[in-house]
Amino acid sequence: MRTMIQLIHVSKQYDQRPALSDVTLEIDKGEFVLLMGPSGAGKSTLLRMLIGAERPDEGQIFVHQKNVTTLKPSDIPHLRRKVGTVFQDFRLLPKKSVFDNVALPLLVQGISSADIRRKVTEALRAVGVEHKRDQLPAGLSTGEQQRVCIARAIVNGPVVLLADEPTGNLDPVLTAEIIELFKLINARGTTVVVATHDPLVMAQVNRRVLTLSQGRLLPEHRVLV
Amino acid sequence: MRTLSYLLRESWVNMWTNRTTTMVAILTTAFTLACVGIFLLLYVNLRAAAGWLQDDIKIMVYLDDRLASDSVTEVEQNLRGDRAVASLLFISKEQALGEFKAQFPSESHLLDGLGQNPLPASFVVALSPSFRSPDAVMRWADRVRQVAGVSKVDYNQDWIDALATVIRSIELVAIGIGVILSAAAVTIIANTIRLTLFARREEIAILRLIGATTSFIRIPYLLEGAVLGALGSTLSLVMLKFMYELFRQQMRTTGRFAGLDNLMAFFPPSVCVALIAVGMGLGFAGSFVSIRRFGEAKA
Ligand SMILES: Nc1ncnc2c1ncn2[C@@H]1O[C@H](COP(=O)(O)OP(=O)(O)O)[C@@H](O)[C@H]1O
Ligand SMILES: [Mg+2]
Repeated sequence: MRTMIQLIHVSKQYDQRPALSDVTLEIDKGEFVLLMGPSGAGKSTLLRMLIGAERPDEGQIFVHQKNVTTLKPSDIPHLRRKVGTVFQDFRLLPKKSVFDNVALPLLVQGISSADIRRKVTEALRAVGVEHKRDQLPAGLSTGEQQRVCIARAIVNGPVVLLADEPTGNLDPVLTAEIIELFKLINARGTTVVVATHDPLVMAQVNRRVLTLSQGRLLPEHRVLV
Repeated sequence: MRTLSYLLRESWVNMWTNRTTTMVAILTTAFTLACVGIFLLLYVNLRAAAGWLQDDIKIMVYLDDRLASDSVTEVEQNLRGDRAVASLLFISKEQALGEFKAQFPSESHLLDGLGQNPLPASFVVALSPSFRSPDAVMRWADRVRQVAGVSKVDYNQDWIDALATVIRSIELVAIGIGVILSAAAVTIIANTIRLTLFARREEIAILRLIGATTSFIRIPYLLEGAVLGALGSTLSLVMLKFMYELFRQQMRTTGRFAGLDNLMAFFPPSVCVALIAVGMGLGFAGSFVSIRRFGEAKA
């Protein structure tokens, strides 16, 4: 029950070129893990597999006691409601207000208006952009946009938060702020996995580091980058 | 509630954002379906006409000239007792001659030359409604031909049959054109939806990531297709009705085919509703096709 994420001998190829080779790892509930490695190492591929957006060629993947590898397509949305995702390029809907963007994960579940209002307000407050709720994403700074993206990822109260290069578009000051935010979210019990090739982030986080190199997981004491 | 209003709003926003494409799609669908509608209207009217003619069919049962009058009564009773016979009218030899003379005064001398009346006595028979189909009429006539004292059974089935053949060909053409043009309508709407899907692929990807179910993602587009189809077929009916009225007007003012304009009929309301539903179904199918293709292409 302590294990939140488990990969067992996972391999994935794209056009006969391995993106992940025989990766086995375990992440416990409540952990904060950095997934490091240079560009092309397979970090994004690994994260995409955790939400069923990509299937491994070999191996098994478990998230929150669910075997993602054998999940029916119709069950994938339910997995994704338990796993929040944050991206480098934010992926906010440009024509919808901050509030509506954050409300989206709740809306697709048919949650009542009153609950949506309460939960969205809570999430916006948690990331500190409550005052921008009626603006469009384009009117926000990049740091604020990433906060909105994080609010959208946590509004469901997910058990896991996955972030793929969340600070890739941010300067060092904003990077530090966003990392602090992740730490706060983690402190409330959410398992956090951040994929990054930014050494600055590693220095900041100072937690468990998993390193991928050309699709292979390096022994944990060896930290390249 | 909020979810429903969101989905409706999304459909509306999609259509409004691409209003030019939407309008073009509705118009082309309308024209396409109107083409099918013309044939359908022609078919419906000709069938009604054939129905009236068939209902009006009179069968002449000619009697043997040597038949005694009590045998005539026997034939009459035989016919009256027949379930298929609705009404019966006896025409004696003299009445037949009188009618012939009245109808063809200039040819009546032909008969005078023969000395005696060559025209046979006959019964004019109208069949009851359930025996009026061409097949039933033929079977009945064959049976009555066997009756003693009957020399000949005659009816104007030939040109009713000819009309039926015409109607069957129109039916085939209508089905053919209907299938082809319906496929065209589906394609038009499918393309429109494809444009919308393409324009919103980012948004669809995001919806997938945050845990939207496939049906939630699809509903606005299916709705859009159904609305396009329904509006297209409604507009096609409006166009047809307009053409129909114009045609009737034309017939009245030229004075030709007088009276026929009153026999022509437009689709009854129930058929109109059915046609709109069909249009809606075609639109739904169109957007379904696009969604399926789009779904396969996604990463
Ligand atoms: N959809 C894809 N199609 C083909 N190759 C891919 C695809 N996604 C990733 N790759 C390849 O897989 C390898 C790992 O990519 P990725 O997981 O994106 O690495 P990272 O996120 O660590 O930069 C790279 O060589 C990349 O080119
Ligand atoms: Mg990556």
